[in-house]
Amino acid sequence: MAAPKPVAEVCMILEGTYPYVAGGVSTWTHDLIRGSKDTTFHIVSLLAKDEPRTMRYEMPKNVTGISHIFIQDFRKGPRLMFGVERLMREVEPVLMGIHRRGGLAEVKAMLDMLAPYKNKIGRRQLLDSPAAWQQLVRMYQKTLRGGSFIHYFWTWRALIGGLYSVLLSELPLCKVYHAVSTGYAGLFGARAALQTGRPLLLTEHGIYTNERRVEIAMADWLFEVGSSSLSVETGEKGLKDLWVDSFLTYSRACYEAAAGIITLFEGNQRLQIADGADRSKMWVIPNGVDVERFTKIKRDPGVRPPTVALIGRVVPIKDVKTFIRAADILRRSVPDVKCLMIGPYEEDKAYYEECKQMVEGLGLGGTFEFTGRKKLDDVLGSIDVNVLTSISEGQPLVVLEAGAAGVPTVATNVGSCSELIYGREDESPRLGPGGEVTALSNPRATAAAIRRLITDQDWHDKCAHAIRERCKVYYDQRSVEQAYGDLYTQLSEVPDQAPEIPEPVIEKEAG
Amino acid sequence: MAGIGFELRKLARRDDLMGVVASLTHASIVSTGPWIMTVLALGAIDIIGLRWLDQEEMKVFRIIVIYNFCFSLVAAGPLMMIATRYLADRIYEKKVTETPGMLVGGFIVLLIQIPIAGWFYGVFAALDPAVRIAAIANYFVISFIWYVGIFLSALRDFRSITIGFAVGMSSAFAVAVLLGERWGAAGMLTGFSLGLALLLSIQVARVLVEFPYGFVRPFAFLRAARKYWELTLGALFYNLAVWVDKWIMWSLPDRDEIAAVMVSYPLYDATMFMAYMTVIPAIAVFVLSVETDFFERYQNFYKDVSGHAPWRKLGEDHQEILASLSRGLRNVVVFQGCITAFVVLSAPTLLSMIGVNLIGLGMFRLGVIGSFFHVLMAFVSVILAYFDLRRKLLFVYFLLFVTNTVFSLISVQMGFAYYGYGFFLSALVTLVVAYALAAWSVGRLPYLTFIANNPSVKG
Repeated sequence: MAAPKPVAEVCMILEGTYPYVAGGVSTWTHDLIRGSKDTTFHIVSLLAKDEPRTMRYEMPKNVTGISHIFIQDFRKGPRLMFGVERLMREVEPVLMGIHRRGGLAEVKAMLDMLAPYKNKIGRRQLLDSPAAWQQLVRMYQKTLRGGSFIHYFWTWRALIGGLYSVLLSELPLCKVYHAVSTGYAGLFGARAALQTGRPLLLTEHGIYTNERRVEIAMADWLFEVGSSSLSVETGEKGLKDLWVDSFLTYSRACYEAAAGIITLFEGNQRLQIADGADRSKMWVIPNGVDVERFTKIKRDPGVRPPTVALIGRVVPIKDVKTFIRAADILRRSVPDVKCLMIGPYEEDKAYYEECKQMVEGLGLGGTFEFTGRKKLDDVLGSIDVNVLTSISEGQPLVVLEAGAAGVPTVATNVGSCSELIYGREDESPRLGPGGEVTALSNPRATAAAIRRLITDQDWHDKCAHAIRERCKVYYDQRSVEQAYGDLYTQLSEVPDQAPEIPEPVIEKEAG
Repeated sequence: MAGIGFELRKLARRDDLMGVVASLTHASIVSTGPWIMTVLALGAIDIIGLRWLDQEEMKVFRIIVIYNFCFSLVAAGPLMMIATRYLADRIYEKKVTETPGMLVGGFIVLLIQIPIAGWFYGVFAALDPAVRIAAIANYFVISFIWYVGIFLSALRDFRSITIGFAVGMSSAFAVAVLLGERWGAAGMLTGFSLGLALLLSIQVARVLVEFPYGFVRPFAFLRAARKYWELTLGALFYNLAVWVDKWIMWSLPDRDEIAAVMVSYPLYDATMFMAYMTVIPAIAVFVLSVETDFFERYQNFYKDVSGHAPWRKLGEDHQEILASLSRGLRNVVVFQGCITAFVVLSAPTLLSMIGVNLIGLGMFRLGVIGSFFHVLMAFVSVILAYFDLRRKLLFVYFLLFVTNTVFSLISVQMGFAYYGYGFFLSALVTLVVAYALAAWSVGRLPYLTFIANNPSVKG
């Protein structure tokens, strides 16, 4: 029998984003696909459920197909099927493992057990059958004993349903699988690597498990009721742990299955290692910017007051208030300084109002201005210092965009700011600082760093030069696309080989 | 940020299981109330009427009342079921402002039958003009009483329902006898209707006091027919099943014909109505045990499910439900079993005491035992309704209808000695099946509640 033909070279696996939701990851994916003109792509889009949706991006020509997986919904399965009782008992310890920080070994075990049934089995058997019900009750008793049964019931259905819908979905054959997050996308990638023997690439923009942890930790409702009878005395795990641990399983499975684990900056690698990723497979491929476009921007030679700008949305995470306080401090030593807040303010009206009142209260009317949204190409030429006071960031592109235009940055020490401004540890030759990194929520430090850049022309020129060079060498979009292009080519020629299964790390339950 | 904003909150916050709690059905009264009333009214006519009133006039009165009870129940049954469930859902949602509108809307729907009733009594049957009008009026008063009954049972005020019925029915008979002496069948009917109309007004007033809202959206409740089609159809089958053995008897050559077209088989009918009366004690015991002992445990289970109780507690609740049900059924069986046995053994004496021809002795005994099975079957159905097992309930009622039809047809073929066997066997077979279904279902109540019968789990 002839081997089946791949439907595309690269299978892009995306969860809840491209091409239906606009945003950073989607744009990144879109640019990457468009930039890799000679590579064909198949897209697997994981969505919550089958709802009306609209494409936010025009499909590039090199996308040959798109398939959907609905996490909350999978096929019904036949009305009558034998052996379900036995299967449910067989998979139970594996499911328990998945709920308790398992990894690739558990995913493989599930796939092997489901293999004989995989073309027909469905919700009727796996979620709704009396055998599945018995399984749920047993798993509840092993997990919670005392907690709200109805919460466990829905949690179980959501988790187990999601797992099965990913494991039983159609698997398009491609030469390389590229997951753009862990979670369900990572789980699908791990499954693809196991079942096809083709290499899996993972690019994590944020750290999925961390984002989930935050989301789940903030979900008070999980503990709203019946918490008194829960875990406190018995030391048992709660429902929140169940969610977090399941996602950790998927992340670990993906890390274990992946041939390469890519982050945007080194800082995130520590978190991946903590979640079980192997250092030897980890690389950094940062996001790039269109360096050519930004280097074309001419510095405004006219006479103008020293100009400082924060470019971004007016939202709490950007900590605009720290920027305003810094402007207030700065004004005392540089009276003619101009501080601009460039970016949309519609997203969080209340926060914008607070900021405006603060500007008024401090009497900053002549110094500080909210400009609203502006085109970068129009404003960067007349900005002397780019400021970032965020309390959280991934890899802020604005540092690079400003940098390519020769504008140094003062940024808080979040995300990859330090790498962008000072260079990565392995940078050689060292290009020098492209601005300054300051502590979070510290207007005094921010103001001091800005003052040095606008009062010390020599220092400013040095920083401007360094950041421009760094952008050219390390953060050019074209070289980033090239890096992925090279990876795709290299990996698509690797012979079929299923990933090695590491020893399970979880403790086997007694009995 | 990558990742499905996958509605964690929605998923884990759900505690909606419950078509079931919504339908706290007060089913026992709904399904047995009209039945008791029919039995009492017709039994009373047979026992009282035959002594004090002119026999020919009495016969006309009697047949009209039988027809009105029987056909109004068959026709109104589905509507009552729709209204019951719609009202239960609204009460669960605490949105009861539509109730008065619904009451009036139901009356209007019932009035659609005017042309049929008008044709039957006004043209088809050979009756005096006054009797024609009185008969039509009586038909609708009875229909309205059936319908308003479901609102009363939703109020769960069984005491006032019982008292209302007792007072209303006795006055109905008193006035019927009073007017009947002077004006014959027309007087009896009018008197009977007046008494019932008094009862009806009291009931309507009671409902309107309880639900003091405007008359809005009178027909909105009809939508529930779609959602609860099994029950709507089930109500039809049940009422057909209750009457079909009588109709088959009415088709025999030795039937009675009154007013040219109104056929009946008085011996069978009267015997059966009397037989039915013997199980009224069982209904009292059952209603008592369901509404107190069982209902509390039933509510506990669902309260604990949505109140985030641990599994252990749900298991205990489940066991309590099972224990309460078997306790209740055992009480009914023992208590009613003694009464039925006594009646069967002393049947000849009893029949001669009330002056009934002993020729129907065998029929009566079959009827008494059959009624025992029938009432147990009805109780098991109530339990099925409590757990919202609509398909199973429909099946049970359908089976009752089919077996009663088939067995009755066979028994009339086999001759007089076998009259009554159809009803008896049908009740027995259906009881066994219904019991098996209920025991199996309630035995795995948690699975049923969370998965198989949970509208939130689609599949």
